[in-house]
Amino acid sequence: MRNIPERWIHRVASELRRPVRLDDEFDRGVMDAVRAMPRHRHRPWTRMLRARTITVSPMITGVAAALLLAVALSAGHFIGVLRANRATARVDVATDRSGGTKPGPRRSVQFVLVAPSARKVQVVGDFNDWDASHQEYVAQHRGGGVWAVTAAIPEGHHRYSFVVDDSLWVADPSAPRVLDDDYGMPNSAIVVGGGDAAQ
Amino acid sequence: MIRSTRATVVLVALSCLGQVAPWRGASGQHATDARLARLDSTTRRVVAAVVDSARKTRLPTEPLIDKALEGAQKGADGGRIVTAVRGLYTELRSARAALGTGAATEEINAGANAIHAGLPMRTLSQLRSVSQHAGRARVTLPLTVYTDLIARGVPAAVASDVVLSLARAGLRNGDYAMFQRNVRLDIENGADAATAAQTRARGAALHNAGRL
Repeated sequence: MRNIPERWIHRVASELRRPVRLDDEFDRGVMDAVRAMPRHRHRPWTRMLRARTITVSPMITGVAAALLLAVALSAGHFIGVLRANRATARVDVATDRSGGTKPGPRRSVQFVLVAPSARKVQVVGDFNDWDASHQEYVAQHRGGGVWAVTAAIPEGHHRYSFVVDDSLWVADPSAPRVLDDDYGMPNSAIVVGGGDAAQ
Repeated sequence: MIRSTRATVVLVALSCLGQVAPWRGASGQHATDARLARLDSTTRRVVAAVVDSARKTRLPTEPLIDKALEGAQKGADGGRIVTAVRGLYTELRSARAALGTGAATEEINAGANAIHAGLPMRTLSQLRSVSQHAGRARVTLPLTVYTDLIARGVPAAVASDVVLSLARAGLRNGDYAMFQRNVRLDIENGADAATAAQTRARGAALHNAGRL
């Protein structure tokens, strides 16, 4: 490397630092040349597709990950709730036909029992939640020991029984029986609507 | 400024996570059916757990509640009610497995009763396919007839054969009702249960085919 004196370097540097003065004609010429160049129209999607380098701190990355996780869990939960509601709704619709004091298509069914010595006859079954207190299932004495009651029963398969004098459980002698050894008292079965109720 | 923005983001994220946890816990729980208040607290808890299991596996829950309520009405003790409800839960699962996922609630219910009476799952599946082949959509009535035959003393093997033969013959609802009534009357008049069922089944099939 050549040995250049220090003072020469300072003189060159000061010369280079001196502001360059350009006349107005030069500026105009440059701007005219720029305006004459073909324009690039950037549409929004072009800008969005253009690759960029983004600098993110580790903390922001962690927060973004946490947010993403929260959103994913929320979405999963939301979908789960929707599916559970659908399942519950399906069961509830089916329930309407299979028991309890629930809404749903019903048909009139007459229950008849011949019990000459009875003082009270009720019908209990899954269509009234096995609750003997329902007045609409209390049979009326029609004379000659014949007790009868007509009730609106939801379509579907049901199990039921007569309760005589609040204590004696009697299966309907004219209906199909149900082998019910769970509680040791007889039940009968009825299929309202012929077992072809829509699901 | 930047610090406060970051702190806000962190707080929002934590609150989101905090809200998710209780939701997830709540989604797995259902309120106990109010009708089960007729049971004592221990029995109610066990029955509610069985009902919850049924709900999760999309089995009909109403038959289970009905079974518990029936026990309460009949004065059964808690242990007996729990045994009955658990047994029915198993039978409902078996019935649905045999009948297929498209089975109606009443079919599953009737199937569970039939399984309880002794109907093999294989026969239940067979009954489903035979009925579909014969153009009958539901098997609720044949299953009810099967259970009735068993309750009236017809041997399980004979009852299975009879119900399958009726299904193959494509009996209608009214035919099933008439068959059940005739068998009942025959037995009440002193006929052997198995003989009555077999004879009436042959008659019903011939009648349905227009040859009687």
